[in-house]
Amino acid sequence: MAIPISQMWTVSTYVLKKKLTGQKRFSLTLMLEPLFRCSLACAGCGKVQYPPHILKKQLTPEECFAAAEECGAPMVAIPGGEPLLHPQIVEIVNGLVARKKYVYMCTNALELKRRLPEFTPSKYLTFSVHLDGQREHHDFSVCREGGYDIAVEGIKEAVKRGFRVTTNATFFDGTDPNSVRAFFDEVMGMGVEGIILSPGYSYDKAPDQNHFMGRARVRRLFRAILSNRKPTWKFNMSPLFLEFLMGNRTYECVPWGMPTYNIFGWQKPCYLLQDGYVESYKELLETTDWDQYGVASGNPKCANCMVSCGYETPAIIDGFGSWKGFVAMVRGTFSKYPDAGAQKLLDEAAPHEPAALVQIEEPANSLEETHV
Amino acid sequence: MSAEVKKYTMAQVEALELAPGTEHENLEGWVPELANEEELRQALEKAFDYRGDVTLTLKSGERIEAFIFNRRTGATLADSYVQYFTPNAPEKRKISYAEIARMEFSGKDRAAGKHWEDWVKNYNEKKAAGEKNIALVPDRLE
Repeated sequence: MAIPISQMWTVSTYVLKKKLTGQKRFSLTLMLEPLFRCSLACAGCGKVQYPPHILKKQLTPEECFAAAEECGAPMVAIPGGEPLLHPQIVEIVNGLVARKKYVYMCTNALELKRRLPEFTPSKYLTFSVHLDGQREHHDFSVCREGGYDIAVEGIKEAVKRGFRVTTNATFFDGTDPNSVRAFFDEVMGMGVEGIILSPGYSYDKAPDQNHFMGRARVRRLFRAILSNRKPTWKFNMSPLFLEFLMGNRTYECVPWGMPTYNIFGWQKPCYLLQDGYVESYKELLETTDWDQYGVASGNPKCANCMVSCGYETPAIIDGFGSWKGFVAMVRGTFSKYPDAGAQKLLDEAAPHEPAALVQIEEPANSLEETHV
Repeated sequence: MSAEVKKYTMAQVEALELAPGTEHENLEGWVPELANEEELRQALEKAFDYRGDVTLTLKSGERIEAFIFNRRTGATLADSYVQYFTPNAPEKRKISYAEIARMEFSGKDRAAGKHWEDWVKNYNEKKAAGEKNIALVPDRLE
């Protein structure tokens, strides 16, 4: 596992304490969005489509610290928008690190290399760099030629300076699993601590609604990608969540596990759905009708979601909350997941052509059978 | 999310290959009639989802340009309110449904034209024209 022992210890003791005290709902990661402004304009992104006066707004450092303290989660992810565009981002990060929060600063890394001297390496600080695949795939995904090379420069410089670095990828329909596996080889070769990944999800604020995989296709893609692992690959995620993506185990959505705070307030119910806002974390926990969300709820807005913001928390709680889960997590950490069927899926996938752009299939918008 | 999904069973949802997405309406420039309470409620729900500013005219005659980011619905219009930001004030504001007389989806829909197909078409055209360093750039902050 790529995650340091100290972080695992902090998270495991936090989970055990919550369980022993009988707390039904608690958060593991605060999703802190200090601004929505971004230096990329990725087609289909539903996070940055706001009028200019909203894009100019940002949280103050004090608002960020108050949210982190109120929530109490041991980890804070800072997505956005692009956090490096926030004029006080260094102060925000330093303040969270001083509070011993494990900070994952999610960045497109276009400005990372230039800004690195302003940050101090710490076990509490990780730069989580958005890379959606190999060069051509990433550039096409973020709608910017040359974006990959700039991000990789930032990654290499951050690694050189002693920072914790992960990559963070979202995979959509049409993803070539062979290319993704080659991408894993590339990024591990850059010296990153681990890989973070997630399937795309058709949350209703995303302007593009046609290129999202259903659950059957997600499981098949991730089975092809994550089985028969190479020993060099490390993942900065719960092994049980990866098994969930591969279709080896089931979890119910836990939207309260990664609550979101931004300029509008505490977002109901999760990082991707925007069903309204409240003023406090307490109000979020107490007034959200949690049973209305997740696949099991029957809510059509959640039908194809398998995203980490809903499904990694139950995997982490499973792993640290019982001996059975812990044993499965340890086994998953070291397993290579040999799977002849997954190899067949890889063999049947279109051969990887480095110069080819991502090819998206036309959506059928109909219920199809799974063919594995 | 389209209503089509609602008739699926859990087993069918688990077997979905492609996910039907939300049908986004073209609301830019729309002036809802607000002929009755239900129409007002529905229009404000659409305004909550809209990725642009709307102009609210209050019964007092005051006009407010607002980005509506939240709504709380109660049993009566007086119990229901929207929360919004205006372009010229830093703080969140709120107004009761009961005070709203007219509404116009006056601002640009910032999600319009941001489909994957739009980017692919744009990319292919520029590539064919021999352009280098092709990219979409964020909207200007005006």
